[in-house]
Amino acid sequence: MNKLILGRYFPGDSWLHRLDPRSKLIAGVAFIFIIFLADSLQAFALLWVFTLFVMRLSGVGFRTYVRGVRPLIWLILFATLMQMLFRTGGATFVDWGPITISEYGIINGFYVFCRFVLIIFFSTVVTLTTKPIDLTDGIGSLLRPLRKLKVPVDELALMLSISLRFIPNLMDETQRIMDAQRARGTQFGEGSLIQQMKTLVPIFLPLFASSLNRAEDMANAMEVRGYQSGTKRSTFRQLSWKRIDTASLFIMVVLAGVLLVVRTI
Amino acid sequence: MNKQPWRPIDMTLAAMFAALMAIGANVSAYLTIGGVPITFQLLFAILAGVLLGSRLGAASMTLYMLIGLVGMPVFAQFKGGIGHVISPTFGFVVSFIAVAYAVGKVVERKSDPTIRTYLFAGACGLFLNYLIGAHYMYAAYTLWFEAPGGFNYLLTWSWMAAYLPIDTGVVVAAALIAPKVKKVVLEARPAV
Repeated sequence: MNKLILGRYFPGDSWLHRLDPRSKLIAGVAFIFIIFLADSLQAFALLWVFTLFVMRLSGVGFRTYVRGVRPLIWLILFATLMQMLFRTGGATFVDWGPITISEYGIINGFYVFCRFVLIIFFSTVVTLTTKPIDLTDGIGSLLRPLRKLKVPVDELALMLSISLRFIPNLMDETQRIMDAQRARGTQFGEGSLIQQMKTLVPIFLPLFASSLNRAEDMANAMEVRGYQSGTKRSTFRQLSWKRIDTASLFIMVVLAGVLLVVRTI
Repeated sequence: MNKQPWRPIDMTLAAMFAALMAIGANVSAYLTIGGVPITFQLLFAILAGVLLGSRLGAASMTLYMLIGLVGMPVFAQFKGGIGHVISPTFGFVVSFIAVAYAVGKVVERKSDPTIRTYLFAGACGLFLNYLIGAHYMYAAYTLWFEAPGGFNYLLTWSWMAAYLPIDTGVVVAAALIAPKVKKVVLEARPAV
């Protein structure tokens, strides 16, 4: 459960840690699109080299990245197997009615596998090297153009940081409430499905009540300090876009360019 | 969306509900029910609509989505990160915004909502949840996993149908619990 408290930020002082959260967010999103440009073994080889290099730069052990893939591993294997067993084309190695293992199937399965794993690795780099609070600031800053569409971007950014701050509190609260109910004799995880569901009500009700109370306390605190939405605000944490950020985005463009060239050959 | 100004209480409530949703998605870390890791996202999304109304409910679910995308492991089974957008189940996360909004709209129309109102609101929510979730899943499998011919639209829905009994149970549970939660909340904070 500690996973939720810290997010997955890995403190460090690498080159990647020092990048502006905005450039990392843009690169993370761009990578998802870039990866779909790859359609050959060479292209995937290049992407692997690039991704492994970036992972190396982060200074975080490879194991941490593999752990990031673990929750999705069944989905990845399922998608890969689907390709391997059902796609036809090229030389056919095994042919059992609907199940065929063919050349195209194996290659496509490999592509699907790489796509998935690479995207997860790359987005893990972003989360491992950036503090959650910096990421929410970055999102707020990147979404700013949406203000023209009347989206309350500044409010959303502030709400994001409030939520992040409250997640650990609510987890402690949940644990406390469960202990309190256990002390009163509630037995969790026993009895029929309906009975088990019923044991959740005495968790959820106090959890809702206490968390909404906290929300009110915080709102009062904001009110007292004269918070008003819609006014021009200055920020405590300043984001600064440096030359290195432009350079890293340029590298992404080059990567996309190379993949486009390889693609047309 | 920005017709009324955002009061501090609106903002903290929406933020708090996004945090609650993160807990609800991973209650299984505390206890398992029937041995299956169960998630209460749908229940919490419906309750967000009931308690916060359409605007704040939708805002809180948007926050939840953004927190997850930013990399906090708040999605079911502690998933999170920008890469999650390619996951076939990401559509459900998006759908919760619509769920909370629709439930809020239905409940707001009634001055004195009954269990029946909540049931109807929950059913609307479930419908949107499935509609958006299934189409996203279908798109994920056909567009970026390049599923071979055997995978079709019908298969997606038969997959969804397997979850329908459980989710119907969730909607009923939400309708039964909603008045209680509302009462507790109103008692705790008469200002809302």
